[in-house]
Amino acid sequence: MQVSKALGQDEQNQCLPHKELETVELTLLLEGIYRYYGVDFRNYALPFIKRRIWNRMQAEQVKTISGLQELVLRCPAIMDRLFEDFSINVTEMFRDPSFFLAFRTKVVPFLRNCPSIKIWHAGCSTGEEVYSMAILLHEEGLYERTTIYATDMNTNVLGYAQNGEFPLRKMQLYTKNYLAAGGARAFSEYYTARQKKAAFHSFLARNIVFSKHNLAVDRSFNEFHVIICRNVMIYFNKLLQNRVHHLFHESLVQSGILGIGSKEGIKFMSITNFYEEVDPFERLYRKIQ
Amino acid sequence: MKLRTKLYIGFAFLFGLFVLSYFILTAMMNQLGQNTGVAMKNHQMMNLANTIQDELNIFSRESRGLLSNPPEELIGELEKNREEALVNVRAAIASLEKLDNRRQSQQLIQELKRLGKEYSALEKKTDALAKMGEDKKLIKMFWYDSREVREEMTEISKKLQAIQKKTIDQELKKSAKTSKQTIHIIFAYIVAVFLIVLIVMTWIVRSITGSLKKVTSVMTEVAFDHPDYLPRIEVTTKDEMGEIALAFNAMAQSLEEHALQEKQLKHEAEERSWLSTKIAEVVHMYPGMDHLDALAQWFINKVAAISGADYGVFYIREQEGTEERLRKVAGYADAQSSSEGQSFKLGEGIVGQCAMENRIVSMDPVPADYIKIQSGLGSAPPAHVLVMPAEFQGKVLAVIELASFQPFDRLQQLFLQEVVGNAGMNINRTLNHMKVEKLLEEFQAVNEELQTQSEELQLQQEELRTVNEQLEEQYEQSEQKTRELEQIRQALEEKAQQLTISSQYKSEFLANMSHELRTPLNSLLILAQMLADNAENNLTPEQIEYATTIFSSGKDLLNMINDILDIAKVEAGKMEVVFEDVKVSDIKDFAEAQFLPVARKKKVQFNIEVAAGLPEVIRTDKQRLQQILKNLLSNAFKFTEHGAVSLLIQKADDKHSGMEVSFAVKDTGIGISEENLTFIFEAFRQADGTISRKYGGTGLGLSISKEMAHLLGGFIEVESIVDDGSTFILYLPDCHKAEQAEYLSYPLEAAAGKSEGTNEAPADDLAFPSLSYEEKEEMMERSTMLKSKKIFIVDDDMRNIFALTAALENYGAEVKFAENGREGIELLKENPKADLVFMDIMIPEMNGLEAIQAIRQMAGFENLPIIALTAKAMKEDRKQCIDAGASDYISKPINLEQLFSIIQVWLYK
Repeated sequence: MQVSKALGQDEQNQCLPHKELETVELTLLLEGIYRYYGVDFRNYALPFIKRRIWNRMQAEQVKTISGLQELVLRCPAIMDRLFEDFSINVTEMFRDPSFFLAFRTKVVPFLRNCPSIKIWHAGCSTGEEVYSMAILLHEEGLYERTTIYATDMNTNVLGYAQNGEFPLRKMQLYTKNYLAAGGARAFSEYYTARQKKAAFHSFLARNIVFSKHNLAVDRSFNEFHVIICRNVMIYFNKLLQNRVHHLFHESLVQSGILGIGSKEGIKFMSITNFYEEVDPFERLYRKIQ
Repeated sequence: MKLRTKLYIGFAFLFGLFVLSYFILTAMMNQLGQNTGVAMKNHQMMNLANTIQDELNIFSRESRGLLSNPPEELIGELEKNREEALVNVRAAIASLEKLDNRRQSQQLIQELKRLGKEYSALEKKTDALAKMGEDKKLIKMFWYDSREVREEMTEISKKLQAIQKKTIDQELKKSAKTSKQTIHIIFAYIVAVFLIVLIVMTWIVRSITGSLKKVTSVMTEVAFDHPDYLPRIEVTTKDEMGEIALAFNAMAQSLEEHALQEKQLKHEAEERSWLSTKIAEVVHMYPGMDHLDALAQWFINKVAAISGADYGVFYIREQEGTEERLRKVAGYADAQSSSEGQSFKLGEGIVGQCAMENRIVSMDPVPADYIKIQSGLGSAPPAHVLVMPAEFQGKVLAVIELASFQPFDRLQQLFLQEVVGNAGMNINRTLNHMKVEKLLEEFQAVNEELQTQSEELQLQQEELRTVNEQLEEQYEQSEQKTRELEQIRQALEEKAQQLTISSQYKSEFLANMSHELRTPLNSLLILAQMLADNAENNLTPEQIEYATTIFSSGKDLLNMINDILDIAKVEAGKMEVVFEDVKVSDIKDFAEAQFLPVARKKKVQFNIEVAAGLPEVIRTDKQRLQQILKNLLSNAFKFTEHGAVSLLIQKADDKHSGMEVSFAVKDTGIGISEENLTFIFEAFRQADGTISRKYGGTGLGLSISKEMAHLLGGFIEVESIVDDGSTFILYLPDCHKAEQAEYLSYPLEAAAGKSEGTNEAPADDLAFPSLSYEEKEEMMERSTMLKSKKIFIVDDDMRNIFALTAALENYGAEVKFAENGREGIELLKENPKADLVFMDIMIPEMNGLEAIQAIRQMAGFENLPIIALTAKAMKEDRKQCIDAGASDYISKPINLEQLFSIIQVWLYK
């Protein structure tokens, strides 16, 4: 909070109140980033962006957002760091196991009727959930006819995801998740421990297409039976959330399934009426119109 | 005259004419009949006359036939025909006699009768003659007598015929005349009747159709689409038409009344239906509205359109800080400037007043400048303004203001009241709904925000962990480096030791040598001084000068040797320090005694100052202190040509903790450049090669001083500006602290020493010489992971135990086993420091599941990784393991790769 204190001192010399100025600076920074680097964070949730920017300001030892703006615009390396700040890559295998359990019991029967299955995992981050999905579908005998499109705006994490190696220290938790998600086999069948990493067997990645896609600016690229986008839109403001929801809606086949994060909802979106609930607690929805 | 009378008269007249014509016609027919009857009678009589003639002819013919000797057979027939003809003649005469009673005819008939009798007589004669056969008489009689009679008879009948024919002709003439007359009369009659009927009909038709026309013309005027007004017939006559007119008028009257009534009813019904439809239209839309602004906008649009308003505004009551205000949220054709009328306080303006009183305010007429309703073409003031409150349970929630060019009619006002009355409830509902929605949305947002924050925290944690790991790694690397360094250091140390030893030898040699050097030098000096003193006065000034030079050079040499000796001593660690109480004043005296003469000689000022607040006595090595000060001061004098040299003794400042006293030697000499400052304390190095040549000396003084200061627990600082002079400050501690400092100066060595002997890793490198780098890495990792780990196997299958044990012990794990659940638990109790347990499920005494459950119940084993070994492939069996408390499971037969992966996962700390 050193920064805010510093800003607080500056405030006395400013005509504008502190908050207002900060918002202006923030808007300018995001606009500048959009104009110069083409990355659009303008419709991200403001409190989140603020926190991340404060974070970066502290790390770069600048006192004002305008100061940071200069650095970010002049120095692509700092932009890269800020980009990484904005890209929150928190995930785990079989995250919220009940979601995967519900998917197994309520969505898999629907998928069995599809001759080929397309799944879009938007904002896949480091790919843990994508591999989880692959394991689930493998166990249900559907993986051979499935293509999973795993996308993220951050190419670094995509590279990581492509490797299919996850930290060994997390495997105890993942095993618990796997079991709670209704895992049908031994979790250890899917990986080999290798130097503090658990390397997942390559057959799991065979039907996964990793690709860069930015939900804030990019458009639909296929038609899917299932779209999973969990805990991604929480970083967006209402406007962008609505945009993304429209994107998903137009990318889903009729009766296609949308899965979102446990803390998210479609209640206050403009597409609310286009879906029916498959499992309201696990946030699984079916497109009905 | 009544229509009936007219008709009666007309018909009666016609009837009279009919009767009259009947009589006329009958009379004429009778006349005609009479004429015809006369003619007929005469015709009959004429026929009879003809018959007489004809029969007479037949008689004469037959008679002639008889006379002419007919064949016997025919005589009968002839006679018969003659007889018949005679009979017929008699009958005809008789008939004629009866019919023709005219005198002239009667005479003729009588004549004829007489002739007939005569002829009959003649006939008898003839017959008699014939029978007698007197033919000649007969013929004569026949041809004369008979013929004469016959001729006469024929003559008479001819006369009769003539009379009769004459009568017939007369009668026919008469008859023709009569008929001609009749035709004339009929024609005249018909013409007369036609004319009369025509006149009568015209009169009647005229009089009837005239009135009818009047009625029908009125009736046709009736337009049935406007039954509320019907035309009336003017009553002029008292006849039936007059009655019809009266009746029609009455009917029209009642129809009009009825129509009016109906119209009124219909209007009312329409109004009611309009009202209910429109209200329903408004009310039914409410449930779809869940936002107040939308509701207000929709409401004002709808209501204004339905009620025919041309202007409308919708105010919502809102809490604004402490006061309540009515804020404009929607408008219909609202063209007011943005600031005006945007919000009102309660009671402010008509809107506020309306809200406060909860009463409809109606302004009719509206003042000209009140408001203007604008369109693109112009603007005009409205005629009527209505301000209505929408309340719910007595509280006004909104105010609706409407204005119109036309005054609102009753129905519109009714509609508005109804709708606005309803609105309150719905506004309240919407407000509540919005509150709930907002709360829900906030909740959702908070939820999302929480999730964001939690993820960020997780990320930060992750980052911290990564940083930590990196640090650890770095630490490990640095440990490694340190170890390597340590090795190098040890090697170096050994070398250094060897060097030190040799250097010590050197130093000792040097020290000894300098001693050896000093002894002859001393005698040399003494002798030179004695010579210079010239006690015997036998030396020339020149010789004295030589002797003095020998002395001073020798002294320099001695100093140099002393210096070298000192530095050698320091380096050889042979410099001894003796702490004692030293008076500060002694130090001052020493400096004065030593350097005042030098100062005087060099004509440089020398100031010594002892600051107040100094302890009188400090504990240090007096000799070394004096030596340091001497070095510093002589340097100062050496490099100072003009100005002053000063010594300031004072209490050390706070910046240098632990230091007690500072001795600052300041000169105004040539100074030292910055780059030279760094190595002036280094032995055998001089700031400038030229310096020693110019100023002389070994240049070891500062090095020795520094080492000595260090020995005394202090240090020397220097500040200098080229050409301005230098300041050397010696800081000295209290002796106790100095002793501590000495002790603390070697902590690193001890730490480095400790790490010895742990470095066994490279040895493993040699254990798997034939493997690839990666495999080697893996093996190494496994051994690091498994080394000295206590792994328990509970299984009754010895082959399995053997295989596992072999695999694990290979990597240095300590493996213990039990053959059943009970033993397994015992084993755990005996060795509570187990790191991992493999538990077969199908084991005797106490099966694996029970054993796992039991272990989990035991204190301290809640988090012990237990891997279940199961030969069953069913999901249900696996679930049982997990439910019993197993951390994970692995299927038999065991895949070693999988086994090591799972061990690595569960041993990961």
